[in-house]
Amino acid sequence: MRAEYVNPFYQATLQVFKLMLDLDVVRTDNPQQTESTVEVLISITGDLRGSVLYQFPQSMTLEMVRIMSGLEIDSPDSFVTSALAEVANIISGNAVSGLLQHNYNCDISTPEVFVDNSADLKTRGQVLSLPLATPIGNPTIKIALEETPS
Amino acid sequence: MWKDKYKVGVPLIDEQHQELFRRVEEFIVALRSDNPWEEKLDKVRETLDFMKVYVVEHFRAEEEYQAQVQYPGLRDHSKIHSDFAGEVVEFEQQFAQLGYEEELVQKFAGKLLAWLINHVATQDQAIGHWARQGGGAL
Repeated sequence: MRAEYVNPFYQATLQVFKLMLDLDVVRTDNPQQTESTVEVLISITGDLRGSVLYQFPQSMTLEMVRIMSGLEIDSPDSFVTSALAEVANIISGNAVSGLLQHNYNCDISTPEVFVDNSADLKTRGQVLSLPLATPIGNPTIKIALEETPS
Repeated sequence: MWKDKYKVGVPLIDEQHQELFRRVEEFIVALRSDNPWEEKLDKVRETLDFMKVYVVEHFRAEEEYQAQVQYPGLRDHSKIHSDFAGEVVEFEQQFAQLGYEEELVQKFAGKLLAWLINHVATQDQAIGHWARQGGGAL
């Protein structure tokens, strides 16, 4: 998969985590995914097609909402997952603006949330995994995009 | 919920943002309390009624200011405002159809929290930045 598909998602994640959560994000080779995750799936249509999957450890989702709201929450209920879906929506929206700078005009779908079970990227093509590290947990972004045949 | 880094540097906008954050925080604290849903409902209704009026008023004031300083991103910013107002209307329609069902209100609150923080911490900052660079007539 071409780097210019992936970089906008990485850059958008860095920016959104910094501005919304005051957190620095780096790439890691060690995703250490032992706990259950909350996942947000967003489909991409337009010049590129496919989907992007955001996988967050559950404890991380609670900490993200604590940073935003100041409230301690003990399980990823619909308040938490809805806030998380919006964060993924914001990252994807910014990434799509980044793709436009490479002349790919794309739209994003409404986010779909999966708690405790994994989403299916529904692709037979290549999936690029982007494991990230933050001070509150390590999310992974999986990107499956290809050029839409004209 | 409010953080000083969210300040845009335009007193009218900052005052309105602080009021918005205060109300959203009150709403979320009430919503997340352990009280029975029937008891929370009054506060939920009161805040949503206030927000409906105040958000429209705030968006209008912010867009007026952008026009005054000839902010080049006014059109995109107005679209962000109207898209969000549209989503609020959709939630309202669901509230009207299904009643103030707790699950739906929790979902609305989560979205509102993240949307508001991103909008103020990111998209609104560009207005202050433009004004400070001497944009427009001010």
